[in-house]
Order: sequence, then C-alpha cells, then structure tokens
Amino acid sequence: MILRFLRNKVVEVEPLSDGNLAVSWRLTDDLLKAEINLKVKPPELEIVEAEASLDRLPPKAWLSAPQLIKKVEGVRVGSGLRKIVRGLLGGPDGCALLIYAVLESSNAVILHYTRPGIAARENLSDEEKMALTKEMLKNNPRLVRSCVAFQDDSPIMQGLDL
Amino acid sequence: MITFNRSQVIGAEFPDDKTIRFNGTQEDHIYAMEINMDVRIADAEIIAINGVIKRYTNFMCPEAVPVLQTAVGISLREDGWDRRVMREIGRKGCEHFAEIVIECGRCLDQALMSKDLSVALEKDPNLDQEQFIQTWIEEHPDIQLG
Repeated sequence: MILRFLRNKVVEVEPLSDGNLAVSWRLTDDLLKAEINLKVKPPELEIVEAEASLDRLPPKAWLSAPQLIKKVEGVRVGSGLRKIVRGLLGGPDGCALLIYAVLESSNAVILHYTRPGIAARENLSDEEKMALTKEMLKNNPRLVRSCVAFQDDSPIMQGLDL
Repeated sequence: MITFNRSQVIGAEFPDDKTIRFNGTQEDHIYAMEINMDVRIADAEIIAINGVIKRYTNFMCPEAVPVLQTAVGISLREDGWDRRVMREIGRKGCEHFAEIVIECGRCLDQALMSKDLSVALEKDPNLDQEQFIQTWIEEHPDIQLG
C-alpha cells in the first residue's frame, strides 16, 4: 500500500572552527517544511544563536516562529531545560514544533559528546563492558531504572545497591 | 565534519477508513530501530504495535521490544500521552523506541489533514490550500499539531 503521508526529519551536530557547535534541525513532510539552526557554545552549552524558518503550509498560529525562537538565546543545555523551553516557547501564543526542535537539538548535542565514549568501549571484552557499565551507574545513579537495561531485575544491576 | 546525525522517517497509510498505520524508523550514529503501529482514528488509541531494534549499545537493549506492548491502549489524544509513552515505553524499555512512538503520534493530525487536503484537491485543483488548512484546524479543536 502506498503512503498517504511521509515525514523526514534530521538533526545534525557540527563542531565549528571557533569552538562552538552548529546544530541543524530540519523537517519536511506533505504539509510542512521547517528548519531550525542553533549555535551552542561550550563548555556551558549556552545557546548563543537561534534561527527558525517555517514554509509550505504551517498553521497561522506558528507564523511568529522566527521571532519566537530568539527567546531561547542565552538558555543553557542542561538540567531544567525541558521546563525552561516549554515556558519560553509554549502556551497559547507558542509553537510546539519549536519546543520539539530545541529539545531534540539539545539531545543531539549531548549525544555528540556521548558518542566517543561508546565508540571507545566497543572493543572491550564483555566482562570489561559490564564492569564499566556498573561503574557508570555508580557515578550516575539517575540512570538507575531509566531503561530496561537498568531495571532492578537486570543482570547489570546485580551486586549494585542503587 | 558532522559528529552526530539522527534521522527519523515516519510514513502513514490508511488500511481502512477506521485505521491509520504508521511505520517509523530512527537511525543515528549510535542507535537504530523501527516500529509499526496501528491507531484507531476515532479515539486515536494505539491498537497494535511491534518493533525491531537494529543497533544498540547494551546486551539488554533487545529486552525493550516486548515492553512496546504497553503502548496498546494509550490514546494519542489523552492529556500527557507523550509523557506516558516516555514513562512506560522509554523508562521501562527504551527511550529511542518511545521517541519513535511519540513522533508517530505527532504525525497523526498532520496525516489526517494531509489526507483530507489531498481528497479536496482532487475535487478542486485550484483550492486555496492555506485556507483549507486554517479551516481544518478550526474545525478540529482537539488536534495537536507538531
């Protein structure tokens, strides 16, 4: 059966020569074309630039998106981000799409930093991986019960009192 | 160069007048997974779901596949449905599966609107599409665009 609707979405992180991170978030579907670009400054991960454009057939209520996105300039990617972004970009005059774009872009920044550590573990033995994962959980107890691997009955959790 | 890329592709088909069927894939440098999900149009309830986990970081990750079944019965119109999906599918299973379910859910009204616009354009190729969208949104106050 052929599709009646198709959405493609991509988010990319690119380190720039000035030390900042460029994040490009793009969405295209049958009705909407959207592009959000953020510049994030390490080490505080402050969003120093934010731009948005919506095209094709966006709802009229979202036409202020290019101005609205400026509200996240100065916000840091870190704890409390979800609440801050929903506060700045949500509400009756807000734009849900921008909230999703900023949060997904921020998540991509975190994964940009996570990727090298995961790559470095790939050639370790199973025992070494298990030991490293247990150590990671001890150092980051917020990960406990955050997914199926870190539930109380998981073999990874055996011997850990977290 | 690009150091992290994530792509999501969501397709929707209408196997009958009462059902919308989503196929969603998420692929990035670290993870890759896919779900198929049937949603009853009348109340936006997830009525069937299955998934495949293709690239992952931990030997326990495939255990998240059966947890997907807890999505059955969730309505994509109930208040806080996306948080419930993240809580039930994400934290008890895999957050990347939850991300795909949520993206499919966000496509629900876009897909319904797109289908109606497509039908209307067949009848009137000169239709004012912007006006059609605006009217459709006004006539469906319970929708959640995103």
